Amino acid sequence: MPSLIDLHQISKVYGSDNTEVKALWDVSLTIDQGDYCSIMGPSGSGKSTAMNVIGCLDRPTGGQYFFDGQDVAQLDDDTLAAIRNRKIGFVFQQFHLLPQLSALDNVALPMVYGGVAAAERRERATMALQRVGLGNRLTNKPSQLSGGQQQRVAIARAIVNRPLLLLADEPTGALDTTTTAEVMTIFEELNQGGITVVMVTHEPAVARLTKRVVWFRDGQVVNAHMQPEDVSYGALVE
Amino acid sequence: MDFRESLTMAVKTLTASKLRSGLTMLGIIIGNASVISMVGLGEGGRHYINEQLQSLGPNILFIVPGNRETRRLGGLEISRNLVLADANAIAEQVPSVIDVAAENTTPGLLSFLNRNANASVIGTNPAFITVRNFTIGQGRFITDLDLQRTSAVAVLGNSLAERLFEDQVPLGQSLRINNIAFEVVGVLELQGSNLGVNYDDAVIIPITTQASRIVGRTSPYGIEVSFISATARNADSMQTAEFQITNLLRLRHGIVNVEEDDFFIQNQDTLLSIADTITSALTLMLAAIASISLLVGGIGIMNIMLVSVRERTQEIGLRKAVGASQNDILIQFLIEAIILSAVGGAMGTFLGVSGISLLSLLTPFEASASISAIVVAVGVSGSIGLFFGVIPARQAAKLDPIVALRSI
Ligand SMILES: Nc1ncnc2c1ncn2[C@@H]1O[C@H](COP(=O)(O)OP(=O)(O)OP(=O)(O)O)[C@@H](O)[C@H]1O
Ligand SMILES: [Mg+2]
Repeated sequence: MPSLIDLHQISKVYGSDNTEVKALWDVSLTIDQGDYCSIMGPSGSGKSTAMNVIGCLDRPTGGQYFFDGQDVAQLDDDTLAAIRNRKIGFVFQQFHLLPQLSALDNVALPMVYGGVAAAERRERATMALQRVGLGNRLTNKPSQLSGGQQQRVAIARAIVNRPLLLLADEPTGALDTTTTAEVMTIFEELNQGGITVVMVTHEPAVARLTKRVVWFRDGQVVNAHMQPEDVSYGALVE
Repeated sequence: MDFRESLTMAVKTLTASKLRSGLTMLGIIIGNASVISMVGLGEGGRHYINEQLQSLGPNILFIVPGNRETRRLGGLEISRNLVLADANAIAEQVPSVIDVAAENTTPGLLSFLNRNANASVIGTNPAFITVRNFTIGQGRFITDLDLQRTSAVAVLGNSLAERLFEDQVPLGQSLRINNIAFEVVGVLELQGSNLGVNYDDAVIIPITTQASRIVGRTSPYGIEVSFISATARNADSMQTAEFQITNLLRLRHGIVNVEEDDFFIQNQDTLLSIADTITSALTLMLAAIASISLLVGGIGIMNIMLVSVRERTQEIGLRKAVGASQNDILIQFLIEAIILSAVGGAMGTFLGVSGISLLSLLTPFEASASISAIVVAVGVSGSIGLFFGVIPARQAAKLDPIVALRSI
């Protein structure tokens, strides 16, 4: 069975010459279908950059990326959009909800571009919001929701199109312990349903709930198959 | 994503950000309304002036003191004005002319009982009413006998009569003009203002009476007049009449060279062409003002569109991140821009046209909305709205989602 994610010597370089920043450098990484993995590492080590590349939101400067067997570099903009729409759900570090739309409309947005009929969109968006515990906040605008609630709307939006891959950049960063546990339960369920889940986290307790940890430092993968039990609090401060 | 989805999405976005939509539309509305009303105003003014001139009738000639070239009117160098005797001579000696009216206008203070009014006092002769094509409403006009006897009789303009006598019958009443008693013998029908003279608010008396009792002085050559108007027998005899009058007056005034002419003759055509030059300039000026307001409105639309697209680059990034194609984005922004331009254009047109209608209600200008002005205004503001609503969105739609998302 081929890997869902297959990164070959991926690099992402910002700027040029003397102002050059190597956000990613020679990153090779494979993640199989059905995996549940966390990405960890110090701040600025390239975790978000790697997630963006994996999520087809950003193009690497060098290297090859096969997603679900397809060479992503060869695909045009609209095909990538279709892949993101159908196969990838993304939870951003900064939520990125549309302020003018209600929670329901925000969650329904991917389905609008996926060609789902309006009635079904409503039904599925409601279900997704109920799943993240926001069944009573359907009509609220993002500005009328707390940070944790906004995060959960973003999660609902990411899972509403039943993606192959769920990418979450610090999904529990803004949440308290109770809601963190709820979100992790949701992820676990999704993973058991066959969805590959990759998330960035700073919390060893959260990482321990996943099957595998990928450790980043200075734009490189220093350990691609770390056991979650081996993550210590001290490791983060290194 | 089909069209109905895009439309729903666009409407949702527009109604969600009412301030932004409102401001954009305001630019379009003001641009359109100002162009439509300005052009309408210009057209209305032109129409009004032409109508006024046309109402004079095609066969009327005006003999005005002064030189045609230098247009010196009553200046120091004019030693001699037109006099009543000139008018009489034209009436008697020019066969191509039917009627000749002499008019002399002076300001006067009118009083009836305890009511006072300032009004123009026009001294003239009986032919005035036929030459100027006026109608008498009550009583009679002044007669030759009045002129011979220098009778103190007065014919009132319609509004003046109402102002002074209110609900009383003016006929037979004694009216004081500059403290001299006149008997009111007639009231004119409402005429409307005519070439800048409001005959409705004037009092008409025999020119001889005016000369001897009101003006109190006469020129050595006779009774001075402001101008003489004459009607030619028919349209074909206009040129003949003009030629004959010129010769007669030159003879009477002892003029040898054309440059010494101390009078000149105008007819409806020359007045129309003068008016046309003026109104064309006026229309051009209004069109220029309108273009500037359209430009300013256009810049306003452009700015708001540009700012809002920049502001919305994040939104574009997010939409792309969850699966929108470049076309989806483009169509959404296009529909938004079309709605803004169309609604703004319609409201601006409505405002402009109502402005014009209001104007024609309140003023004598019969301003009318010009279709071409509407088309140009809506077209220009619409294109600006579409262009600056869509082109920047197209640029943003080409960015990688993460780049668009990061831009603030
Ligand atoms: N658009 C950009 N232009 C230039 N440099 C960038 C850009 N985006 C990221 N970087 C740099 O790339 C490096 C990796 O950034 P990234 O956001 O991936 O870190 P991270 O591991 O997600 O950190 P954090 O845990 O704080 O979120 C950083 O040094 C950052 O400064
Ligand atoms: Mg990050």
